[in-house]
Amino acid sequence: MPVLSVRDLSIEYRTRRGPVQAVRDVTFDLEQGETIAIIGESGSGKTTLAVGLIRLSPRSARVTKGEIRYDDGKRAFDVLSLDAERLRRFRWADCAMVFQAALSAFNPVITIWEQFLDTGRAHGMSDKHKVHDRTRELLDLVHLDPKRVLTAYPHELSGGMRQRVLIAMALLLDPRIVILDEPTTALDILTQRAIIDLLRDLRARLGFSTIFISHDLSIAAELADRMLTMYAGRIVERASVEDLFYRPRHPYSVGLMRAVPRVSGALGSVASIPGSPPDLIRLPRGCSYYPRCPFHVEQCLEEDPPLLQVDTPQHEAACIRWEAVAAALGSDAEAPVAEKLA
Amino acid sequence: MTTLATTARRRDMALPGPLASAFEFLRMMSKKPVGLIGLIGVLFFLFLAYVAPLIVPLQDQVDVTAIYAKPSWAHPLGTDFQGRDVVNQIVYGGGDIITTAILAALFSTLIAITFGSIAATVGGRLDALILAITDVALTIPQLILLIVIAAIFRPSSFFALAVILALLQWPALLRQIRAQVLSLKERDFVEAARSLDLGLLHIIFREMLPNMRSYIVIHFIIAMTLAIYAQAAIMFLGLVPLSGKNWAIMLYFAYNQGALFFRDSFFYLMGPIMAIALFQLSLVWLASGLEDVFNPRLRS
Amino acid sequence: MTEPLIQLDRVSRTYTTPAGTITAVDDVSLSLGESETICIVGESGCGKTTTGRMLAGLLRPSSGRLLFEGADVWEKKGQDLARFRRAVQLVHQDPYASLNPTRTIAQTLAPPLAKHKKAHGRAARAAMISLLERVGLTPPTDFLLKYPHQLSGGQRQRVSIARALTVDPRVIVADEAVSMVDVSIRISLLDLLHNLATEFHVTTVLITHDLAVARYFGRIGRVAVMYLGKVVELANTEALVSDPAHPYSTALIAAIPEADPTITRTKKRVALKGAEVPSLLNLPPGCVFHPRCPLFEPGLCDVLVPQLGDLPGGRSVACHVALRERQPAAELLGVR
Repeated sequence: MPVLSVRDLSIEYRTRRGPVQAVRDVTFDLEQGETIAIIGESGSGKTTLAVGLIRLSPRSARVTKGEIRYDDGKRAFDVLSLDAERLRRFRWADCAMVFQAALSAFNPVITIWEQFLDTGRAHGMSDKHKVHDRTRELLDLVHLDPKRVLTAYPHELSGGMRQRVLIAMALLLDPRIVILDEPTTALDILTQRAIIDLLRDLRARLGFSTIFISHDLSIAAELADRMLTMYAGRIVERASVEDLFYRPRHPYSVGLMRAVPRVSGALGSVASIPGSPPDLIRLPRGCSYYPRCPFHVEQCLEEDPPLLQVDTPQHEAACIRWEAVAAALGSDAEAPVAEKLA
Repeated sequence: MTTLATTARRRDMALPGPLASAFEFLRMMSKKPVGLIGLIGVLFFLFLAYVAPLIVPLQDQVDVTAIYAKPSWAHPLGTDFQGRDVVNQIVYGGGDIITTAILAALFSTLIAITFGSIAATVGGRLDALILAITDVALTIPQLILLIVIAAIFRPSSFFALAVILALLQWPALLRQIRAQVLSLKERDFVEAARSLDLGLLHIIFREMLPNMRSYIVIHFIIAMTLAIYAQAAIMFLGLVPLSGKNWAIMLYFAYNQGALFFRDSFFYLMGPIMAIALFQLSLVWLASGLEDVFNPRLRS
Repeated sequence: MTEPLIQLDRVSRTYTTPAGTITAVDDVSLSLGESETICIVGESGCGKTTTGRMLAGLLRPSSGRLLFEGADVWEKKGQDLARFRRAVQLVHQDPYASLNPTRTIAQTLAPPLAKHKKAHGRAARAAMISLLERVGLTPPTDFLLKYPHQLSGGQRQRVSIARALTVDPRVIVADEAVSMVDVSIRISLLDLLHNLATEFHVTTVLITHDLAVARYFGRIGRVAVMYLGKVVELANTEALVSDPAHPYSTALIAAIPEADPTITRTKKRVALKGAEVPSLLNLPPGCVFHPRCPLFEPGLCDVLVPQLGDLPGGRSVACHVALRERQPAAELLGVR
């Protein structure tokens, strides 16, 4: 039984120029203990989706349709139907979010301890001592010294330390689901490594399910069980991590794989994706990836392709030309895409 | 692909410039009714002050039989103490005041921009000196100083009056300009202009100033309102040689010629007051509307 | 070896703060020839941006010299200095701040063309079109009348590069120029910068914290790894990536998460002692890396500051142990 089931979720923003369809018909399941990575670039809708899952979207955003079904075995409900009080209890206790560790994720004028206390109190932990004990426990888990961190102000901590604090804060109420928005972006290499190892460790110990949102393919490669690639507000491919990296079937996924240079191994034929993402207010008819796609045909303009099953039942791609993509990549199942296209 | 007209049609906001952008400007103003009303009001008064006198002939003859006549079709707002039509005087009364106000605002803006930019770009002791002078000027009670200066120098031309008025208003804008320039100095595109060796004047006037447009335009408008108040004050108090016609001088005469005591001379007194007040209000509302237009965050 | 085009000769940059003296860059020397591509990599606080800005002549070294065509830049005056300023251009990291938001692309490109190439009107327009084509913004006429907010991040960076090219620079320093740009178009920007070096003989320096980007960009050039203000290793990129000499470089390369599940989940990591980077106010004695270094030798590494020593293959490394281990034959033979 998946702990989170999202069906046909669509979110739009009101802007001066018209409504922006930031998220369109997103459907996916998150199983217990699983880690999903949602990969996309600017304009893909991934951040809108992430904040939309716990209904933290700004006022100008509206969910136009869909449902977000949460089911932990004991309770089941649609997150979108919750009233304010129950939503507050859902947030953090059932599903928590770790934001990017920029300074703006913190209140700059209070200490870290006070932030923990505030967070605990806001979500039903009224006993100060309980919050304190739990905070110390969590700070130990994330390898931070409570003595040093609790009395500090956010600007006194390094980026890596702030990220750890945010992770600890998210785990305050022992949630079942943790959503992380760009957890390693803007961090140094060694710090990224430490955070990735930490997340792996925490996941093993505490057993929560995870959703990563990122533009960084490598974090998906490190931690994800399954991946979704998003483009122009839609999910364009859904697969296990090996399938997506070694056997991508949507041209955008292929393009992404080719566009990321690696440090180890051969460089292969790395190349950028030409063009830019479409205008989300005036979406063209048919497949939104059409102008940038090397595999496109006339038929692609007729309608937005639905997710079609490719190769295996767990692998889907929103492309009517997926077979041509498969053929172009050849039969070597294990080699990375850039080498296959070299 | 896109021309400016297409851009305007597609409603992509570009900053004021050619015709298509003027269209866009009006559209943005109409989002906040206050701004649009202000704009219409200002345009109306400008028309009244500068265009109407070209159409309506001046009625300057003294008519002893019609002193303080009641409002009628011939004289919609009655007549003054010498039998002259009040409406006519209001038509002819705006030009001087508004011209002086525009000149005063222009001078104060120029002073503020020049010295504000210099203070921020040169820094050091020159900056400290300019700031000190500005602070002193800011703390002196403006109207009183104006009255004293007017009493001493008795400016007889509007140009001179404009200069005096300007001298009292530059401090506020100077500080704003200086602060803006200080922060813009550190921006990447200014650094790039320095690397490209484009020269200090180019950097100030072509790179930084366009980013301060909102401050400058809004200051200009507010400076105009302050100049009009100041003019009304010193002319009403009779501190300026009373030549020419304008609303403030009308007030002076109305007051001194006892218009307060006659019921029929009500409009002679209230006419110029309302003209000044409504023009000021239009200016202030226009400034308020412009604030929104200039705020990039309110655009798409 | 021909005369280097631009050189940093033992430059340092210090800042005095109420808390103490910060040494952002310590005794760094770098020689760059014409048409060369080089990357400066390191983590935050390592001094790479400061070094890049000193190279571009935007920051004055506290000690040491910046030499351009053999002459000390900070001794130059007037026309000579102006010529240097134009010869070395910086491309900034943030595409949203590097262009004047109140100016169209044409209005941004026009002033340097007018001032330095004396091109106005039609001639200027032709020059702009050719520049925009060169940086891959096609069709160029579409972009001339646009404002920066109407362009994407990648397009803005290209305009920045075009602007830098208006004065025919000899050196371009790109300070994290692709970090704020979408992943899928980074390669094309890097290719553009690379072409400037290979086709147009512009020496291109890329400053980045992303080793994968550095490897791709510097694939035919060199890379300098910096740590806490010092250059710890300088080598050909492929040599560094396949066989790093300095333990810090080794740790970095091992630590990078890769966009390939099999590689990244089985990669051997190098454990460093201590996760925290020492504060620049309080640098460790001897080799600044010694508190975290797996090769640490007491008595040597915490006492003596290692200098950049040459190794065979045109690389240099600042590590006592590495130098000793990799050059035993030379030592024995007394050749040094």
